[in-house]
Amino acid sequence: MKRRDEVVVGATIVVALAVIIVAALWLSEAELGRGGTIHVARFRTVGGLGVGDPVVLSGVRVGRVAGIRLGERNWVEAELQVYRDVTLPSNPAVIAASASFFGEWQAGIISLDQPPDDPKVRRDLDEALAAADDAWPGAALPDIGQLTAQAGRIARDITLVSSRVQEAFDSTAVRALQQSIRNFGRVADRIAEFTEQQTNLLGAVGQRLEQGSDVLHDAALSLQTSLARIDSATNQGELESILENTQEASGYMRDATRRFSELIDVAHENQESIVRVLQAADSIMTRIQNRSGTLGMLVGDSTLYIETIQAVIQLRTLLADIQANPRKYFKFSVF
Amino acid sequence: MRAHGYAPSLRVRRPIWFRVRLADTLPHVPRSLTTRVSGWYAGFGRLGHFLADMARGLRDVHTWPAQTVAQLLRIGVNSVPIALFVAAFTGVVLALQASYTFTGAVPLYFVGTLVGKTIMLELGPVLTGLVLAGRVGANTAAELGTMRVTEQVDALETLAYDPFAYLVIPRVVASTVMFPVVVALAMAMGVLTGLVTAVNLLDLSTVEFVRGLKLFYQFKDIWFGLVKSMSFGFAIGVVGCMKGLAVRRGAQEVGRATTDAVVLGAKLILVLDAVWAVLLL
Repeated sequence: MKRRDEVVVGATIVVALAVIIVAALWLSEAELGRGGTIHVARFRTVGGLGVGDPVVLSGVRVGRVAGIRLGERNWVEAELQVYRDVTLPSNPAVIAASASFFGEWQAGIISLDQPPDDPKVRRDLDEALAAADDAWPGAALPDIGQLTAQAGRIARDITLVSSRVQEAFDSTAVRALQQSIRNFGRVADRIAEFTEQQTNLLGAVGQRLEQGSDVLHDAALSLQTSLARIDSATNQGELESILENTQEASGYMRDATRRFSELIDVAHENQESIVRVLQAADSIMTRIQNRSGTLGMLVGDSTLYIETIQAVIQLRTLLADIQANPRKYFKFSVF
Repeated sequence: MRAHGYAPSLRVRRPIWFRVRLADTLPHVPRSLTTRVSGWYAGFGRLGHFLADMARGLRDVHTWPAQTVAQLLRIGVNSVPIALFVAAFTGVVLALQASYTFTGAVPLYFVGTLVGKTIMLELGPVLTGLVLAGRVGANTAAELGTMRVTEQVDALETLAYDPFAYLVIPRVVASTVMFPVVVALAMAMGVLTGLVTAVNLLDLSTVEFVRGLKLFYQFKDIWFGLVKSMSFGFAIGVVGCMKGLAVRRGAQEVGRATTDAVVLGAKLILVLDAVWAVLLL
């Protein structure tokens, strides 16, 4: 019996301890398995930020505020426990702000490469950045109470302005206002007429644009058809055949060019001998023209030509005589 | 039969300031008031002697640890069902009243916040303490009072047992140790029934309730309630034993001692609750 009592008491205590420990860990979101890296952020004031409040990056919870303490020169240092598997911005800063209207606060990690628009927040971040060593710069946005107070001041100002407007708004002002409204009505009528004219013009322009659009549509259709044909030709292999033929012709052209180049080289080699021939011919022609040398004398003197003609005539006569009287000139005997 | 209710106190010679009557020092104050004030004065004196005797009994380590397990079972484990019952309905009522209060003004997920905070910080320890003040305090006072009337306490002394080591310390230790255990289970039950109520009877999802529950949670919420409940257990154990051993004669005095133990225990719980709130919150 006593043994059973001890077991029951021990089991009850163990169950209660387990309940407390598990509940405490669960409620505090301790994230035992994930651990985290501690980063220190430096603020002038953290507002309503407290230990255990969430740390968010782009709206996603990535850790919790592990501690808040007063630092040197009235700086407030907040320890942020960020989960290990979180990729942080290269140039991080922390903004403490209200998470809702009901007093919840959170520390939002931002990148200083994209600083917030609020000039006061920027100034706070710059100041914290200048003062910080390894700590992230931090700034706190005004809480709901401050915003409400500001809104209250604005509301009072609006009320004051309204009362002053009410005081200034007497019967003269009403008549002036009525006249202004009538003038405004006339201006509105003119604007309406002008608008109608412009509307008609715009309608005509629109009609032409519509026609132009139709033409463009037809052109687009034609282009589409051409593209379809090209696409069809491509699909049937004709374009490929053309390209192959072109490639072959290019080869022939390249071969012909090479041969032509060789021909040019040969012509270039023969150029000197041709020049020499021409120079010799030129020399001969010059001498003929100057009537020097044999050919020049022959060209310049007709006697030789006449004598040559006579010699030819005599030669033909001799040949005829030989043909007529061969025994006169040739004599054959066997023995 | 002892003149002052428990024997060990007779062996202590009281200082001169303890023996001076308040009415003799303030002759112009009405006698009823001086009597009442002197009663408180004497009560604190008896409490001091009781605690001193209890501290002396702690040295008898061969006696009280063996008796403590049985008291742990009687005071702690056997009190769990009634504590869970009270906590369960407390959670239900809290969730419903919170939703009734928050309608149209505050988001309903704050029901989780209110239920969690209230159960852990206040209602869990205090309601459980009050319930156990009735159950444990009355039981202890009646049991020890009856033992005193039937001279069982004298018999223990005759057998060379220190009544404090044999009767008082096991009960006080058991109530001090087991009150936080019972309160922890009651907290869990209260929050659980609050969650079930919020999900089934209110337009609230489990996720929203848990969000509200975690919203302003601090670890202090839990240990504060447990520390309080430990002090409640100690107070109820001491008061029950003290009232029980103070019985002199008859069943009528046993009944009165039982009532006094419950009433004084409840008062002490509320006073201690306020003291802890001032000191720790």
